[in-house]
Amino acid sequence: MPDLGKLSLAIAFVLAIYSIAANVYGARRRLPAFIVSARHALWAMCAMVTIAVVALLSGLLSSDFSLEYVASYSSSTLPTPYKFSSLWAGQQGSLLFWTWLLLIFSSIAAFQNRRKNPEITPYAMAVLSGVAVFFLAMLNFVTRPFDPIFPVPAQGQDLNPLLQNYWMAIHPPSLYTGYVSASVPFAFGAGALITGKLDDAWIRTTRRWAIFSWFFLTLGNMFGARWAYEVLGWGGYWAWDPVENAAFMPWLVMTAYLHSVMIQERKDMLKVWNLALIGLGFSLTIFGTFITRSGVISSVHSFTQTGIGPYFLSFLLVVVAGYTALIFYRARELRSPAEFESYLSREAAFLFNNLVLIGIAFAVFWGTIFPALSEAVRGVKITVGPPFFNSVGGPLALALIFLMGVGPLIAWRRTTAGNLLRSFGAPIVLGIITAAAALIGGIREWYVLAALSLAGFVFGTVVVEFQRGVNARRHMVSESPASALVNLVSKNNRRYGGYIIHLGVLVAFVGVVGSSFFKTEVKKNVHEGESFTIGPYQLHYLGISTVDTPHLLSATARVEVLRNGRQTAMMTPAKLVYKRQEQPATEVAIRSTPRADLYVVLAGFDENGATFDVFLTPLVWWLWAGGVLMVIGTFVAMLPNVRERTAIAAALSRAAAAESGAEPAAERG
Amino acid sequence: MSLRAPLRSAIAAAAVLVLASAFSGAAAPAFAAERPTRAQIAEGLTCQCGCGLTVANCNHPQCSFSVPVRAEIDSMIARGMTSAQIFAFYRHKYGEKVLSAPPAEGFNLLAWTMPFLAVLLGGTLIVIAANRWRLAAPAPSTGAPERDRELDSALKRKLDEEIREQL
Repeated sequence: MPDLGKLSLAIAFVLAIYSIAANVYGARRRLPAFIVSARHALWAMCAMVTIAVVALLSGLLSSDFSLEYVASYSSSTLPTPYKFSSLWAGQQGSLLFWTWLLLIFSSIAAFQNRRKNPEITPYAMAVLSGVAVFFLAMLNFVTRPFDPIFPVPAQGQDLNPLLQNYWMAIHPPSLYTGYVSASVPFAFGAGALITGKLDDAWIRTTRRWAIFSWFFLTLGNMFGARWAYEVLGWGGYWAWDPVENAAFMPWLVMTAYLHSVMIQERKDMLKVWNLALIGLGFSLTIFGTFITRSGVISSVHSFTQTGIGPYFLSFLLVVVAGYTALIFYRARELRSPAEFESYLSREAAFLFNNLVLIGIAFAVFWGTIFPALSEAVRGVKITVGPPFFNSVGGPLALALIFLMGVGPLIAWRRTTAGNLLRSFGAPIVLGIITAAAALIGGIREWYVLAALSLAGFVFGTVVVEFQRGVNARRHMVSESPASALVNLVSKNNRRYGGYIIHLGVLVAFVGVVGSSFFKTEVKKNVHEGESFTIGPYQLHYLGISTVDTPHLLSATARVEVLRNGRQTAMMTPAKLVYKRQEQPATEVAIRSTPRADLYVVLAGFDENGATFDVFLTPLVWWLWAGGVLMVIGTFVAMLPNVRERTAIAAALSRAAAAESGAEPAAERG
Repeated sequence: MSLRAPLRSAIAAAAVLVLASAFSGAAAPAFAAERPTRAQIAEGLTCQCGCGLTVANCNHPQCSFSVPVRAEIDSMIARGMTSAQIFAFYRHKYGEKVLSAPPAEGFNLLAWTMPFLAVLLGGTLIVIAANRWRLAAPAPSTGAPERDRELDSALKRKLDEEIREQL
């Protein structure tokens, strides 16, 4: 199998080069046969890399320690699900996985566009093949997944204990899916720039890809936060680590992009900006990989850190320079007749929303690279950690939440003062009531009061927007409120899916505020049978039990949780020692309620008792609930919409009619 | 069109951002001057054990850095030291890297100001571009109000019918 894997990667590399050449030659010479051939080459590449993935998985599942990768990231005692996740635990495997996803997505995009966008598609496919060439070159010549090891060890080194967690089994694939799928809109944007087809066809064609990418970036970030919360055992979920930041930046940029494309679709404005954003989003995914693997910036995520940073940096520079040059080359054609009537308009709200989103992305980028900059300029090592990001990002986040409330209710073109009052009267009152309630509830931190008040305001705007739609439907077609709501959402799924996502962001925001400002911690050493309290809970330590398996040794404490003298839960935090790596890991026990999470860590134990680190974190449940709402909203937004398909078909036929004189560049079969 | 309007807007945007940055400084727990708590200080120090977390968040039970430092912080607070004195002590002992945010001085000022300057610059560019677009956009039509109203009501009826069909 390893030889088959090696061979298939070599064939895929050759096919990728052929795919670029055939796509470009076929498009320039208008030879459909070459474009068809290039598409088949792309699908063949996908098949070849699939074979390589199966070959590596086969090595991992059969514990073939003659492969260096398997010996480094697996062991014969590793549970089978984690043998699968070992595929992306190390550098070679994760690059192979990345390439595989890239080729799956490229193949799907090639299939979707086999009869559409005949001018842009070949160039987009050439760009995707170009990205594949880079990754396949890495896999064939620099960091090979099928390298053997001599002498063959009797046992593997096992998977890093921190990665032996179900969230880690799904967090990297989600994030990679988000990262890699951003390549498709990027490639079509580049294709539009190369061909000069600069209308919004490339945006409409790849809109679902952009949402898909955003969705998986959201999931990836959320799963990563959940993993940190459950595994790292410090009671938090986000540490502003460089690798977390690297995953957060593309999310911010893709969020900005999803908003700004609406302006281009509606008003034919911001062409350069949208092209720049998608280029930036893609570049940041490469930057994220560069950070993870280069070691330039120290990170707790350096599981796969090696010396391939310079290759990624070079690739990043080529992408940024090439794409920027294309934008400059088309600058004159990208100028569009812009219309802007008033700052009190949705266009203005979107513009400022983009400013704040990119401002936050820049702040995160700046904070992430500043330690490296300081060392290069002053020779002094510094740390840029949570106080910096919270202080700089906090005000910008508040501004963003405010704009999230303003944008949907404000009209396109212009809004009068009367309309503003009618639209925002109720939400403003709700914001004031929320602040007053929080004040009465004992909250005195003005930052928190402002955040909660804003949350109340934005919640009010979402409710008003739904209420307006329902009322309009009831007025026009006499429906019941429930069916009006269902029809409203299903027939305008993109818009109302977006509002559900806004609601999710808002709920998550409340969770972040509550959990950041009101967390309490108690650290206690207790003997068996003793109790201690945190908040309204009394924790009663009942004892410890150990389990010894060939893979790990676990010690699990039993802690009875009482509230007002009545048992409310039995919690079992554990300490695990993985035998291969002799590294301890924590398994926290969490009792989650909408009001607060009780989070119990078994920090240590001996014959005299156990030490517990216990956190009571308010509202953290809402962060995950917000994530679920964002997922629901994205599904709603991505539902097939007959009206939209009709509009796209009409736009495409108009475009075809306009070009009826021109000879089609690609085949129709 | 003079540049006064964009300039005014830019100044207003600058004022908002200056306020925001002042607010952000106030929000930074590491620089609170009086009555420090252990949590505030520990949040402002980075653990040197390699965990990458702050001293407040390092969860290694036998951590050779965060465990003794937490005890040290308690004793310093008990001796009446201010947060500035405690941070100065650790900075002198371990270097700047022990602080979890760069002190706002010298070269590090760039770290704190650049994000806000970037947003300020972006905001100014938006204002300038938007004002240009406003100039370029055709002026709203001014017709006879009575006739418009008639037209409006006819249009409204037609629009209602079309919307109903869509629904």
